[in-house]
Amino acid sequence: MALPVPIGSIVSERLDIKSYKSDIFAGSVMGSSFQEKSLWLMLVSLAVVFGAYFRLALPLRTPDVNPANVGLFVAAVVVLVIAQIAGHLIVALFDRDDRTDERDRLIALKGTRNGGYVLATGVFLALCTAVATTGNFVTAHVLLASWVLAQMVEIATQLWHYRRGA
Amino acid sequence: MGKDEHHITNRIRELRFHRGEMTQGELAERTGVTRQTINAIEGNKYSPSLEVAFRIAKVLGVPLTDVFRHGDE
Repeated sequence: MALPVPIGSIVSERLDIKSYKSDIFAGSVMGSSFQEKSLWLMLVSLAVVFGAYFRLALPLRTPDVNPANVGLFVAAVVVLVIAQIAGHLIVALFDRDDRTDERDRLIALKGTRNGGYVLATGVFLALCTAVATTGNFVTAHVLLASWVLAQMVEIATQLWHYRRGA
Repeated sequence: MGKDEHHITNRIRELRFHRGEMTQGELAERTGVTRQTINAIEGNKYSPSLEVAFRIAKVLGVPLTDVFRHGDE
């Protein structure tokens, strides 16, 4: 009598060590793809660098953006670039497979869509502050914060989709 | 994906076993996608494009309808 489900498939479900050995870390950071590790790196570096920037820059508030803000911003961008290059070099040491496929592209598009909503909202808020406040300090920083937040939402969306598998 | 993510089921894990215990990595390599994508497809969390679906069926040596099935069938 033929079984509805082959014994082999049941065995493979339970004892397919050969398959599971490559799947065993699938739910952990160690089992994540190069793309996921790269996204975590970008998310953490963005949060740390621009968190520090806003913490230092906002107390220096003047009606217009001042040279100290510009210097801090340039320093933040330089640190961010260096941190991301160094981080990606380290990630590449542990995971050399940086191939992408249709699922990666779909997940990236979903991230870009959500980030776009945040950026559009931020641009609208920046326009409101341009009308409501004097000088360009607030508008410039609302725009910058919107861009940072949009990037973080884009990355977080991608990480969420990678974690849930789709 | 989305609302229909559980409507398409597949027998990839079982068919891999019958193809000499092919690993997800081997199937991914031969179909041109990542191992994580094969894992997501097997778990019915991601429905691949027709292109990838046909390639998976070809590598597993069976017709497409032997690999994927719609929930209503």
